[in-house]
Amino acid sequence: MSESAARRLSRMFQLISFAIDAKQDHLSHLDGAIGDADHGITMSLGFTAVNSELAKLDLGRTLPSDVFSAAATAFLNAVGASTGPLYATAFRRAAQALKPLESLSPADQAIIIEAMAAGIKDRGKGQRGDKTMLDAWIPAAEAAAEAVSRGATAAEMWNSILAAAEDGANATRSMVAARGRAARLGERSLGHMDPGSASAVIILSAMREAFTEGCS
Amino acid sequence: MASAKKVAANKAGLAEGPDVMPLRYGDDPYVWACWLYYEEGRTQGEIAGIMGISRATVNSYLADARDRGIVKISLEPARLSSLSIAQELKRHFGLTDCLVVPSDDGSRALIDRLGSAGGQALAKLLKSGDTLAVAWGRTTLSIAENLSVSNLQDVTVVQATGGTRATFAYTPELCASTVATAIGARLVNITAPAIVSSVGVRSAILQEPLLEEQFAVLARANKALFGVSSLRPNSTIHTSGFFESVSIQDYLAKNAVGVVAGRFIDPHGHPVAGPLDERTIGISLDMLKNIATRIAVAGGFDKVPAILAALRGGYVNILVTDAATGRGILNADGVTEFDQKASQRSRSKETVQLPSNFRTHIKKFLNNPNDVVEEMLDGVTKAHAAYIQPVKGSNRSLVAKNGPRKGKVGLVIGGGTGHEPCFLGYVGKGLADAVAVGNIFSSPPPTPILECTKAASGGEGVLFVYGNYAGDVMNFEMAAEMAQDEKIEVRTVLTTDDIASSPIEDREGRRGVAGNVFVFKIAGAACDRGLSLAECEAVTRKANNRTFTMGVALEPCSLPQTRRHNFEIGPDDIEIGMGIHGERGVVRDQMMPADEITDRIMDRIFSEMKAVQGDRVAVLVNSFGATPLMELYILFRRVAQRLSAKDISIEANWVGHYCTSLDMVGASISILHLDSELSELLHHPCDAAFLRVR
Repeated sequence: MSESAARRLSRMFQLISFAIDAKQDHLSHLDGAIGDADHGITMSLGFTAVNSELAKLDLGRTLPSDVFSAAATAFLNAVGASTGPLYATAFRRAAQALKPLESLSPADQAIIIEAMAAGIKDRGKGQRGDKTMLDAWIPAAEAAAEAVSRGATAAEMWNSILAAAEDGANATRSMVAARGRAARLGERSLGHMDPGSASAVIILSAMREAFTEGCS
Repeated sequence: MASAKKVAANKAGLAEGPDVMPLRYGDDPYVWACWLYYEEGRTQGEIAGIMGISRATVNSYLADARDRGIVKISLEPARLSSLSIAQELKRHFGLTDCLVVPSDDGSRALIDRLGSAGGQALAKLLKSGDTLAVAWGRTTLSIAENLSVSNLQDVTVVQATGGTRATFAYTPELCASTVATAIGARLVNITAPAIVSSVGVRSAILQEPLLEEQFAVLARANKALFGVSSLRPNSTIHTSGFFESVSIQDYLAKNAVGVVAGRFIDPHGHPVAGPLDERTIGISLDMLKNIATRIAVAGGFDKVPAILAALRGGYVNILVTDAATGRGILNADGVTEFDQKASQRSRSKETVQLPSNFRTHIKKFLNNPNDVVEEMLDGVTKAHAAYIQPVKGSNRSLVAKNGPRKGKVGLVIGGGTGHEPCFLGYVGKGLADAVAVGNIFSSPPPTPILECTKAASGGEGVLFVYGNYAGDVMNFEMAAEMAQDEKIEVRTVLTTDDIASSPIEDREGRRGVAGNVFVFKIAGAACDRGLSLAECEAVTRKANNRTFTMGVALEPCSLPQTRRHNFEIGPDDIEIGMGIHGERGVVRDQMMPADEITDRIMDRIFSEMKAVQGDRVAVLVNSFGATPLMELYILFRRVAQRLSAKDISIEANWVGHYCTSLDMVGASISILHLDSELSELLHHPCDAAFLRVR
C-alpha cells in the first residue's frame, strides 16, 4: 500500500457513498415493501455527511482510527434513525480496534469487518436470523476471520466476505423479521430481502473495491 | 303490426325464432342464453329450441360468455385460496398430500383449528395394522384431543422420543397415550428419558432388552405424526424446558432454525450437530425419513422458516397447515405465482387500460426536496415563536418559551418529522419542555436530544417520552447515557399504544402512535404540578398502559424525495393496523362502510380496555394527513354511539390532525381509559401550539 492508510479509508468512504447513491432507489424500494421506504435516502445522507467531514481532515497526518471516529460522529449526527446508531457504533468499534495502527494489512481489514459486525450486534441487541443487516454482517465477519486463518490474499478474503454477505442477504427473504419496524408485519415480511442487509452488501462491495484497487 | 305481434307472441310463451328475443336482454343473445342456462336451469337442448338456434351455437354462446366476462364463475375466496395454496405446496415440495385450513375467522385459536384438521387427516390416513410413531408438542396434543376413529384393528401407537418432566401439558407420554386411546390402539411407550446425562448412560440404556424391544417397534413404524417447532423465544422448545441443560444459542449459532422430533435442523433441513445428539433417546432424523407416511401438522408464521426447513429436508410428505402459514412458506421459498393465478381467474382477458390522466408522481409544495425538514422548521419557529425557540441556534432542538423552570422535572419528547403537529406542536407550558426533531420518519440523533435534555433540566431530572421504535430507542438511550455524564438523571417511558402492532402478550413490543398525545398531556401535567421524577414516570406509564389506538389507511403516503406512493393499496382495499410511518398495516381487508370500520377498531379496543359501565374516557380521532375533518366526525359519531351503548362517558375529546403520516389517507382512533388521577391531570391547563386546555 503506497498511499497512506487514512487516504485509502477516505477513498473507501467515497466509494461507499457512490455505490449507495447508485442503488438509492433500489434500497428505498426494498424498504417500501416492508418498512417506510427511506432506507436509500437515509444511507445516502449518512455517507454524504461522512465524506464532507473527512474532507476537512488532513489525511497525510491522520491515523486510520481517526478516520473511523470522524465517520462515526458525522454519520450519527446526519442520520439518527436506527441505521445512525448502528453504523456509528460499527465505525467507532473499528476505530478502537485500529487504535495504534498506521497501515492496514489484510488481517487489519478483517479486524475492521469483525469490529463493525460486533458493534452493530451489540448496539442493536440482535442476532443472526432476525432479518436485519446482521444477517449480512455476521457471515461477512466469519468469512473474514476464516480467510485470515487460512492465510488468504486480500483479494481472496474479500471474495469470501462478499460471497458470505450476499448469501446472508439472500437468506433474509425466507426470514420473518424479529427486529425493527418490519417485525410488526409478521409473516408479511416473508419473501422480501431485508433492505439493511442489501445495503450491507453494497457497503462491503465498495470496501472490497477500495482495499483491492491497484493490488492486481 | 309486426312489433305488436312479436310482443303478443312472446307473452304467450311461443318460441318463434331468434328475432323474438325478449326486450329485457337488449339485443344480446349471449345474455339470453346465459339467463336460460344459469338462472332458469334449462338444458342446452331446451335453450336451442327456445332461441331457435342449434345446440352447438348454444354451447359456443355459453363458452364465449365466460370469455366476455358476462358470466363469472367464482369460488368462495377463502376456500379457493386455501385450496390453491394446498395445491401449490403439494406441487412445489412434491408432497403426497397437503391440507390447508382456510384463513382465520377469529372464532377459534389456530392450535384448535390445526388440531381438528390434523385429526381429520389422520383419521383418513390410518389403516388397520398400522404402526404410528407419535412425537409431542402443543399441536400434536391438540390433534390427539380432536381425534376419534373406532373401526381400526391391530394398530400400534409408539412414542417417538423418550419421556420428559411433566412440567408442561403436552408431554411425549401424554401425546402418545391420547392418540392411542382415541383410535383404540395398543400403546408402546419409550420408557427412558428423552435426554440423558451422558453418552455412556445413553448406550447403556439402549442395550436394555426392554428398550431394544421398544425401539424395534419404533423402527417398524410405517406412519409418523409430529409437529415442527421454531426456535423463537415463545416456542415449545423454550417453554417446555426440554433442552434445559443446553443453551439454544449453541444451535442458533450453527444456524439452526427448527426442531423436528427433538432434533435440530438448519434452513436446508440438514441436521445441526450439537452436544445433545449423543445424549438423545428417540427417533433419529434418518429413521424418520425412512417412515413411509410422515405427517407434519404445524402453523403460525413464526414457524415458517422451521416448516420450510423440514419440507426442504424431506422429513414431511403430508403437511397440514393454515392458509397464512402456507402462503408464507411459499413466499419464503420464492413462489408468488399462485396469488396471481387466483386473481387472474376473476379478471377478463383484456388488460386494464390506464386512464389518460394516470400519474406516477404526487404533487407537493416543495422547493428542493432535500430541504423540506429545514424549511419546515424555519416556518414552524416563525409561526410558533410564542411557544418555542431553538436551542443554541439549532432548529433540531426546540425548547418551550415558558416551560422549563427550576425545581420542575423536565419533559423531553421527540421523533421523526412527517407527523406534524407531532411532536413539536406539543411543546409549551404544561406540556413538553423540549422536542428533538429528526428527519422524515427518522429518529433524531443523540446530540439534539442531549441539547433538549440540558435545556429542559430544572435540576429535578428529565423524563423522556417517545414512541417505541428501534431507531428512537437507540438514539434516546445514547442521549440518556450522555446526559448521565452531565449529571442529569433521565427516566424513560416508551409509548406503546398501537394495539394492532403486536398481540397483547407482547404489549411492550408495540409501537407508539397517535395515543402519544394523551401520554404527553398526562406527563406534561404531572411535571408542571411539580411531582417528583419517579411520580411523573409512574403516572406517565399508567397513562400509556391505559391508552389504546388503532389506525386504518385507505391510501398510502408519499415521501417528498420520491413523490411516489411507498406501496400500493388496491382500489377496493384498506389496510388495518396501519402505522404512522407508512409501514404497511397488519391485515388488508375490503373497503367497508365507515361504521363497520369504526366497529372493527372499537371491538378490538373494548376487548383490551376492560371498561365497565360508568367509566370515563378521552377520545382522539386523528387524521393520518389527507382525510378531512368531515370524515373524522363521521367516525367520531360512531365512536360516541358505541361508548354510550356501554354507558361509558366521554370526558374529553379531540378530533383533527394530531399525529399524521405525511399525506396518507386514513385515520386512527385512540381511547384513554381514565381514572380519577388521570382525569385530573388531563384537565390540568396547558398551552402549546396544537393543544390547549384552560
